[in-house]
Amino acid sequence: MRQPSFEWTRGPAIPVVSVLFALVLGGLFVWISGHDPITAYAALLRGAFGSPYDISETLLIAVPLLLTGLSVAVAFRAGLFNIGAQGQLLVGAVAAGWVGAQWPDLPAIVLLPLTLLAGILGGAVYGGIAGWLKAARGVNEVITTIMQNYTIVFVMHWLLQNGPMQAPNAFGTPASAPIGAGAVLPVIVPDFLVPSSRLHAGVLLALLATVAFWFLLWRTSLGYELRAVGLGMRAAAQAGIDPRKRMVIVMAIAGGFAGLAGMIQVSGLFHRVYDGFSAGFGFDAIAVALLGKNAPLGVVLSALLFAAFSRGGTLMQSDAGISSHLVEIVEALVLFVIAAETVVRAVARRWGTPVKAVS
Amino acid sequence: MDVLIGAGVLAATIRLATPVALAALGGVVTERSGVVNIALEGCMLVGAFFGVFAADRTGSLPAAIAAAVVAGILLAAVHALAAITFRADQIVSGMALNILALGLTSYLDYQLYSTTGTPSTIPLVPNVHLGFLENAPVLGGAIGDQSAIVWATLAIVVLLQLFLFRTVPGLRLRSVGEHPRAADTLGIDVRRTRYWAVLASGALAALGGVYLSLSVAGSFSDNMTNGRGFIGLAAMIFGRWTPVGALGAALVFGYGDALSVSLQGVKVAGVEFPVQLLSTIPYLLTVLAVAGFVGRSRMPAADGQPYESEGH
Amino acid sequence: MPSMKRFLAFALMTMTVVAGCGGAGTASPSPSAAASSAAAVPTVAPTATAKAVKVGLVTDVGGLNDKSFNALANQGRLDAEKDLKVQTSVTESKKQEDYVPNLTNYAQQGYDLVIAVGFLMTNATWKVAKQFPNVKFAIIDGAPADDSGKTQNLPNVANLFFKEQEAGYLVGVIAATMAKNKVGKATHNTVCSMGGIPIPPVDRYIAGYQDAVKTISPTTTILNGYSNDFVDQAKGKEVGLSHISKSCDILFQVAGASGLGYIAAAKEKGVYAIGVDADQAYVAPGTVLTSALKRVNKAVYDTVAAVTTNSFKAGDNFFSAANDGVGYGTLDAVVPADAKAAADQALAGIKSGKITPKDTVQVK
Repeated sequence: MRQPSFEWTRGPAIPVVSVLFALVLGGLFVWISGHDPITAYAALLRGAFGSPYDISETLLIAVPLLLTGLSVAVAFRAGLFNIGAQGQLLVGAVAAGWVGAQWPDLPAIVLLPLTLLAGILGGAVYGGIAGWLKAARGVNEVITTIMQNYTIVFVMHWLLQNGPMQAPNAFGTPASAPIGAGAVLPVIVPDFLVPSSRLHAGVLLALLATVAFWFLLWRTSLGYELRAVGLGMRAAAQAGIDPRKRMVIVMAIAGGFAGLAGMIQVSGLFHRVYDGFSAGFGFDAIAVALLGKNAPLGVVLSALLFAAFSRGGTLMQSDAGISSHLVEIVEALVLFVIAAETVVRAVARRWGTPVKAVS
Repeated sequence: MDVLIGAGVLAATIRLATPVALAALGGVVTERSGVVNIALEGCMLVGAFFGVFAADRTGSLPAAIAAAVVAGILLAAVHALAAITFRADQIVSGMALNILALGLTSYLDYQLYSTTGTPSTIPLVPNVHLGFLENAPVLGGAIGDQSAIVWATLAIVVLLQLFLFRTVPGLRLRSVGEHPRAADTLGIDVRRTRYWAVLASGALAALGGVYLSLSVAGSFSDNMTNGRGFIGLAAMIFGRWTPVGALGAALVFGYGDALSVSLQGVKVAGVEFPVQLLSTIPYLLTVLAVAGFVGRSRMPAADGQPYESEGH
Repeated sequence: MPSMKRFLAFALMTMTVVAGCGGAGTASPSPSAAASSAAAVPTVAPTATAKAVKVGLVTDVGGLNDKSFNALANQGRLDAEKDLKVQTSVTESKKQEDYVPNLTNYAQQGYDLVIAVGFLMTNATWKVAKQFPNVKFAIIDGAPADDSGKTQNLPNVANLFFKEQEAGYLVGVIAATMAKNKVGKATHNTVCSMGGIPIPPVDRYIAGYQDAVKTISPTTTILNGYSNDFVDQAKGKEVGLSHISKSCDILFQVAGASGLGYIAAAKEKGVYAIGVDADQAYVAPGTVLTSALKRVNKAVYDTVAAVTTNSFKAGDNFFSAANDGVGYGTLDAVVPADAKAAADQALAGIKSGKITPKDTVQVK
């Protein structure tokens, strides 16, 4: 479906130049709107990396972006387009939140793995449904996952507003009952290092998941088959791989990554499920995966880039006084220029810079 | 049962299907030519905003619709430039433009209308009253008082179906999406054809947006398209990349959406269904319909693949 | 990229809960400030001694352009900046994950007052306010809640509550009077309402509205529905058309932008509507009879003023009819004098405590 036009592994020159070019373009927009681009970008940097606290918050946003990015990436690798990471994340969150609150008195050594499993399984089942519908009934996964994203939102409205998961003490906020202490992912940064940090062990889980992603795709026969399917149905069939059987597995794995993201948001950050929760990670994830070229390191880096924009963009508004919509426009430009990197490539060629070697 | 097939439900089905259908038609045109354009959502949104904006500034409905369509075409042109000329990743480009459209329209709306709202006196797209159907059962209620854009959409479906499958330019467009290399050999300008198709998709989606703002709502509000561009993409696939199929798919979705309203407060065996779950009907219905009746569909062979001519 | 969330329908998910109740259009007549709002230019303090008081406002995910709840709060901030010579700043939250860091950012920078807009921030406010005991906080529509969900008042947090049911009651009196007397196009003795989603700040409006109708005109039929949404005008309009087909001719919306579609249905079919939160008379003159006002701007302004005069009051602060925190908006010309008189009488009754509008919905 798409042609990889650069590989992060081959050197960072092109992506870095693209981001710089985009920032210049975005700065122009900021300047036209009557603000100072330097102040704006200073605020952006400060918001993302200005203090240990800011860095920890940026990492917190990067975690769900990374995991949903892996979710989208694993599907892409197998030739499937998973628009449903958002829905899978929510199902994982609901499943984890339910288990965590159902047996709140269990010790952590039992409850935490149970909650983790529930989150991953929840997402995997939801993703697996899309894979199964494609394999069994030929339903395009794009349709199913778009529809699934909406469905879970309304199901959560029901569960949390006046349905079975509504917390008796939710002070009017549609939310579930809090999970037990044993289901909570501990904060891993001591207070004397970063005061009031929320950075929890979910960061480690996310890194572990990234290693698992790499291992699965490049070190197992299943991964080889999945990539073969992604490269072309016919080739895979010649190699004796039934692409249909793989669809369910791939979408379940994709859902599992996203479900883990949902579990981490519940166990690490909120300790309960809120309605309208973790909005948008699963959609940013599509761009995260594509910018990262569906490769482990690339996805990590692009998740960090997006997270930096998310936190830094906030300070562009609060400290530099730039409308959040302008921040969106700048972000869109960055994304667009990275997508159209051939522009940068063409310019680079003309100027005869070393990045030529990359193409 | 009036709540299932009454005139009111059918009329609502048509109203709710129209913007989805227009987005889906845009999708059909662009993907038939081999370019994926998920910026349809953004094209709808700029159409919705600039329609209201132009209606406010000029007071003229034709000017408003023209401005909306031009806005949609301009956004689509950026996508075409990225996707066709620069062979950018089409999905990332489309996503970027969606964000751009959301940011831009929200920004302008906030700057221009944050305290006053969009003016209530702007000209709106009129409904077409079919007087002769007034006393017809069901039909009169269902189609007797629909927006002019609804009828325009129907006409576009027919024309587009004929164009794509019964005319030479239509054949060329499809061949570019199936076998660009072969089309090139036959002397068809692949890039030019794709440009036209992408621009047309922007125009169609923008018409869907202006339907929402100047026919349904009479005003603009942030993100008022609310994902209909994406539902349109699903309808395009559901409808097997044909205009008539896309319309059918949009109607299925619209029917589900209409049910989610009409079934509110209805008791089945003394039990009232939770209103939140009613809202899942259009999405479940769409998946069930595809799984049950449509099944496997084949996208244009070269869909989403940039084309580089031999001599390049 | 925080906003990419919206890229699919997904504002859907975002806004839903959160946007709270509301409608289009801000009540405030001072648009001039809007453009310059972000600049947050420090101004000279009113007294020569004190340094300028710094006020930070954090919106919920509904954002500044919701023309409702958050917009009203921002209006209060801008008015305060102008009149009270304070220095202010605003941050829009893009997702729930943002609440804690956004509040923390202001607290860390030494702001004197940090205002959290919306009941979704009860737990975030509790967390941050506990860590910064020397910074004053205010939360609209809520009180600080600990991790178990229990309300825990803090000495540095003002909880700003509104009695939405009183505003709902006032517009309900007008609707009931017109329905009973079959005024103008209100000929079917049926009145309706539509909420965004069934959550307390929405339902309190509807409860008060229904209570008034039942009290003033027991024979009037009442219908209620939900759009399950706060941004989608098309959905709101469908609920409106459905209500009108069931003989409703007065439609009260409590559904943010989605509610604008509900009003659009009334306008198209030539019946009446009632706005919410802000004064929405401008949305459709001749259609919008009046609006149920929730003066979030006043709550913000008063709280800032309290900080500048050292009269900040932690704990519950109620904004009700008694202190003009809620009320009814501009009356359209079609509203007859007796309906206005009835509303004013009800207002006096609420103020004196003779009338206590119900706060739970009776007709679902």
